[in-house]
Amino acid sequence: MTKRIGRRDFLKLAAVGATAATAARALRSAEASENSSTGSRQWAMVIDQSKCVGCGYCTLACQAHNDINPEIQWNRVTTAGEVAGKTVFLPRPCMNCAKAPCVDVCPVKASYYRADGIVMMDYDRCIGCRYCEVACPYQARSFNWKSFDAPNPAVPEWGQPEVARRPRGVVEKCAFCYQRVDRGLALGLEPGVDADATPACCVVCPTGARTFGDLNDPDSQVGKLVKNNVAYRLREDLGTAPRVYYIAADPQKMEG
Amino acid sequence: MIRNLKRILPALRFSLWTAWLLILSVLLLAALAAGYLVFTRGLWITNLTDLVPWGLWITIDLSSIALSAGAFTLCAAVYLIGLKRYQPVARTATFVGLIGYTMAMLSLLLDIGRPDRFWHALVYWNDHSLLWEVTMCVMLYLTVLVFESMPIFASLGWLKKRFPGVTAKMGGRHQYAPYLAIAGLALSMLHQSSLGGVYGVLKARPIWFKPEMTVLFMLSAIIGGISLTLFASMVASRLTPRAKVNDFLLERLSHVVAWALVGYLYFRFWDVFAQHYTFDPGRTEGLELLTGGPLSFNFWILEMLLGALAPMVLLLTRVTRQNRFWRMVALALVVVGVVAYRWDTNLSGLLVVMPYIPGQQAVAYASYTPSLIEAITGLGVIAYGLLAFSLGVRYLSVVDHRLVAEEHRVARETVPETVPA
Repeated sequence: MTKRIGRRDFLKLAAVGATAATAARALRSAEASENSSTGSRQWAMVIDQSKCVGCGYCTLACQAHNDINPEIQWNRVTTAGEVAGKTVFLPRPCMNCAKAPCVDVCPVKASYYRADGIVMMDYDRCIGCRYCEVACPYQARSFNWKSFDAPNPAVPEWGQPEVARRPRGVVEKCAFCYQRVDRGLALGLEPGVDADATPACCVVCPTGARTFGDLNDPDSQVGKLVKNNVAYRLREDLGTAPRVYYIAADPQKMEG
Repeated sequence: MIRNLKRILPALRFSLWTAWLLILSVLLLAALAAGYLVFTRGLWITNLTDLVPWGLWITIDLSSIALSAGAFTLCAAVYLIGLKRYQPVARTATFVGLIGYTMAMLSLLLDIGRPDRFWHALVYWNDHSLLWEVTMCVMLYLTVLVFESMPIFASLGWLKKRFPGVTAKMGGRHQYAPYLAIAGLALSMLHQSSLGGVYGVLKARPIWFKPEMTVLFMLSAIIGGISLTLFASMVASRLTPRAKVNDFLLERLSHVVAWALVGYLYFRFWDVFAQHYTFDPGRTEGLELLTGGPLSFNFWILEMLLGALAPMVLLLTRVTRQNRFWRMVALALVVVGVVAYRWDTNLSGLLVVMPYIPGQQAVAYASYTPSLIEAITGLGVIAYGLLAFSLGVRYLSVVDHRLVAEEHRVARETVPETVPA
């Protein structure tokens, strides 16, 4: 008889304990800011579709500076349709979402937010489960199915590698050339203004379709472009809050 | 020459057991070779792509975990609800569960890009990730299963002879069974549901994005898990005298499976039917893959007709339920249905390539057929499970319904005399 009571007590205790632990955990994570927008500077990119001619230089510069396997593209230029007989292009880097599904789903926190909003990848931590790939609405993530040992065909014409090559078996993606941003800031340069502190794709763009800068600063070029144009973001309905803004193509402003 | 042949022939006369072991060994060896290729050359030799990054291995992983659910269900029934007469069946289910979870581990090791970092989830916690939660629960539950199956391994004659002290300790831990059952129930309810949740939380994949994924995954796991345990026990009892089943217990549990199937079909019907009328882009296309596309045979025939409806009718009807052959058929069909559900769920979400370009209506479709390497390694994982179960039946008597733990023997209780209040 005593044993039965003991078991019941154990059950109750276990239930109370589990509830308390869950509540404590929930409270703690609500308290600790998981928000990506805590830093004073918030990096963002604006892409003007009236100016983009689909040359693909951004992709090439990206491949070289980030030393990417030619089978993978962090920054893909796609065709978005036609306006008044003119082709509209849509270059797609990683959106570096403020509410990134990839960060939430990663079982090992290999994807994480920086305070300045960049969604980072820890390539030494990634286990290659590919859940983030499945979760990303923008197909911005690529898995290293093969190891990349050959010389990078985009080097040296389009730039020099600035980051370590990723090993086989991990997922990789664009991170707004954080290495250029960080190095530039350390040198006292301004990202988005000085080329050496700005993502490679924005620097190389021959038509100036891509702009990078601090969204928190209303006087930055990015801030002005977003304010003075009708800017939209991809799949805003999903609530991911992307940091890449697009200015829709205006046939009047488009060339040829 | 003829005399030589006569001398050799008796040695060549295989017993069924040897032939079975031989087949399994061949499958295992082939899988070892294929697995070596996967580890050394990388995952590009599979047919997985960035659009369909999860395929056959994930299905095997999900299915083995689902089909192991008999362990927690029956242990809870025996040790928590007090249905003590099912204890020998729970014993089989525990062993099946132990095999199933190790099978899941094996297929996951194949699937992840960096198997050398499998332990990262234990060290680097992301408590927002359902996959992290699943990993932790699976690891912890595997530990529970190891403890739960200790009395089974304690019955190994070889071990008993050499380490009598150890086996006595292992076997004498039965009093902890209720506590292990509580832990097993909690951990299993968590991860069996959240395996559905892994899919269910992804807003970018409308056919998955719904709360009932968790319910459907858990219900189907319980049904499939019990069915596999019953089916495996019945097959074993037909093939070897070492397996002894109590047909009454199997028949009662099959009746439970039948009613659980009724519940499952009810939820699944509304799941599909109601979703159809949301006309959500991506969801509609995903449903069409199931109802009329490349997955339609799986969906209508394997999942619905053979996997759920037919066994439900067979097990609800007294005549067929009591007939051992039809009961076996029905239980096997349930297992097929659960595996088909996992396969269909995974692919109906992944094959629909969702557009991110504004105004783009056209939905593209990806395709996926497992490569030979995936199939061979997958078969190897299954062969390992079959081998482990066969050895268990032969050497550990995992299917023996005469074995009842001492405290579960039905005691004649003296009913106290009733007194007027």
